[in-house]
Amino acid sequence: MFIRFTSEDVSAQNQVKASVQRRIRQSIAEEYPGLEPVLEDLLPKKSPLVVVKCQNHLNLVVVNNVPLFFNIRDGPYMPTLRLLHQYPNIMKKFQVDRGAIKFVFSGANIMCPGLTSPGGVLDEEVEIERPVAIMAEGKQHALAIGFTKMSAKNIKAINKGIGVDNLHYLNDGLWKMETLD
Amino acid sequence: MAEKPEAVKVLYCGVCGLPAEYCEFGPEFEKCKPWLIQYAPDVYPDLLKDSDGKEVDKVSDQMQSTSISAGGSSTSKPEEVKRLPGGKVKKKDKKEVIIEKVVRNKRKCITTVKGLELFAVKLSDASKKLGKKFATGASVVKGPTEKEQIDVQGDIAYDIVEFITDTWPDVPESSIFFIEDGKKVPAA
Ligand SMILES: [Zn+2]
Repeated sequence: MFIRFTSEDVSAQNQVKASVQRRIRQSIAEEYPGLEPVLEDLLPKKSPLVVVKCQNHLNLVVVNNVPLFFNIRDGPYMPTLRLLHQYPNIMKKFQVDRGAIKFVFSGANIMCPGLTSPGGVLDEEVEIERPVAIMAEGKQHALAIGFTKMSAKNIKAINKGIGVDNLHYLNDGLWKMETLD
Repeated sequence: MAEKPEAVKVLYCGVCGLPAEYCEFGPEFEKCKPWLIQYAPDVYPDLLKDSDGKEVDKVSDQMQSTSISAGGSSTSKPEEVKRLPGGKVKKKDKKEVIIEKVVRNKRKCITTVKGLELFAVKLSDASKKLGKKFATGASVVKGPTEKEQIDVQGDIAYDIVEFITDTWPDVPESSIFFIEDGKKVPAA
């Protein structure tokens, strides 16, 4: 999704009203309760919060020019990988086997067998259409952020096809956009 | 309210910007290698094995004895210094100032200065002086190896050597090095 994302894909950039800012903050707090204690540091009530609308219905939540969260249409907010790296325990995690890493790096979606093989790990509680951190066999830090196309149980049971959509991965356009001018 | 989670510090590669453990999947692993050997030897232990281990140890031993004597005389041996990027760098024991230009997204760049504290220079003081001299932002931050370093905004690598030797005469020019394209180059 973010493969060729550049600042040219930005279609509108707006500082949002206080009410919208509050709503965004609240839905992030609900989605990631582990982040609540640092939310005031990340999204200070007094700093302007900017929502950048991009192509493909992608919205970025930006504070002080740093993209911190994104969502698609009205979907759940997800942290950028740089933010997730700092607070790795805020999301549920899947792990792909080592063989899948290079495909994820090329932007491919995550196929079930990469999660069910001996190098893969599934969190069985994860339902369909949920944000999930994609970890990798033998690696400490997250490789990608995905959105499940099947529940973890079905990924295990069906074990073929796309299990998780790859929304944001290391070295994609959003990763490279450390700050937004 | 739950306890404040501590932000994890991730070691990002100084060359490709990925977490160091993912350099091997990045576009320029070869270019990352010298940086990784210096800053992330634990992540890729095989890289150290690749370069001849014995040879490397010998070089770093020589380096240590050289830098001890370099304190008084200015007869350092740059040809040995140049060989270091291929091998293990024992930073802890060496008295050196390392200057590196780091490019942050396209045009922005910062110049990092490491090692001044080894010459009894107070980093907070040095940071202030650098900021003033180059009319820019400068701050003391924890570097990737958990050691403190000074980050100065902008590309000041060109003028900084003279400023350091003028301001802190205890720092000999022969102990100042640049990192250029992942290689360590003497400033003198
Ligand atoms: Zn790298």
